[in-house]
Amino acid sequence: MADSTTIDVAQGEISRSEAKGKAPLLATTHQVFSTTKAMEREDNKGGYKRGVAIFDFILRLCALTAALAATATMGTTDQTLPFFTQFFQFQASYDDIPTFQFFVIAMAIASGYLVLSMPFSVVGIVRPHAVGPKMLLITFDTVMVALTTAAAGSATAIVYLAHSGNSSANWLAICQQFNDFCQKVSGAVVASFIVVVIFMILVVFSAIGLRKH
Amino acid sequence: MMKAGPLELGDAPKSSTPKSGVNRGVSILDFILRLIAIMATLGSAIAMGTTNETLPFFTQFIRFRARYNDFPTFTFFVVANSVVCAYLVLSLALSIFHIMRSAAQGTRVVLILLDTAMLALLTAGASAAAAIVYLAHKGNTRVNWFSICQQFNSFCERISGALIGSFGGIMLFILLILLSAVALSRR
Repeated sequence: MADSTTIDVAQGEISRSEAKGKAPLLATTHQVFSTTKAMEREDNKGGYKRGVAIFDFILRLCALTAALAATATMGTTDQTLPFFTQFFQFQASYDDIPTFQFFVIAMAIASGYLVLSMPFSVVGIVRPHAVGPKMLLITFDTVMVALTTAAAGSATAIVYLAHSGNSSANWLAICQQFNDFCQKVSGAVVASFIVVVIFMILVVFSAIGLRKH
Repeated sequence: MMKAGPLELGDAPKSSTPKSGVNRGVSILDFILRLIAIMATLGSAIAMGTTNETLPFFTQFIRFRARYNDFPTFTFFVVANSVVCAYLVLSLALSIFHIMRSAAQGTRVVLILLDTAMLALLTAGASAAAAIVYLAHKGNTRVNWFSICQQFNSFCERISGALIGSFGGIMLFILLILLSAVALSRR
């Protein structure tokens, strides 16, 4: 009787395990299909997200060069005219105009931020589905768009005034005397606008990378 | 085995009510912020565009009327604020679409793109006007640009006040872009 019960139990166990064995087989095949499909999907989407992240990193390098160029060009402006009169200043450097001081500081901050954001960009390449680095990048990139555009816009207003003057306020154009200074300053402003455009593209890349399917 | 079907396939996907609820809340907040930004940029454009001050005395050498037209930078400011205000009114439709369909992703990326472009335009206008307002208040002795605020007092106050709405609009745009990013990442 003990044998029969054990056999029954064993048979019951065997039958249960058979049933379990069949069901898990089906389940595992289902799971295998679903996981392979998910892995294919992840690989595909990881593929284009990784490409976008690599392009993001390359653009950050370009923005870093442009921001450093803008800072250096504006920071090294210093022109002294060789003649003198009683009434006019004959030395022009970025120090004389507070807007240009703000420009140098803002572009220096943008350059520093770009250097610090490179690791997060690399994390975005290595792990295309991580949300944290991309949220951080999109937040700070948006703030940097605003800061860099503010620097570029205000410097443009002063450069325009230096080129054209304003007769209603009796502000004379200074570019006719300070030719070299004006050219350098205009070049720095152009470089900062390139940085602005690159930051805008970086924001859109982070947004594309945040999508989930 | 037949009854183990749902167990095999895992839980039936819920309608993910907490996540879609938060997304809907985010979209409603986005709509409200857009309304506030419309009022801010419209106020700035009108405040700058209606400046007109004429001084009651006259001499031979100095101008005695100040309008926003006299400064090309202020003209750009008025134009930029008007364009951004019109864009915000048009984007209200997309915002309402996002409230109704919180799971939309492609349109949110488009909205982020357009919002970033408008942020850049608004900031450029506001910062250029701020540079000229600073010059009008303080002047610059090293390049012989004199401050005009001592004569044109009410004009100066108007142009300084018009900047406030524009900078408020900039803050709201940054918040709008962040909200769209949060809604994208929480799907």
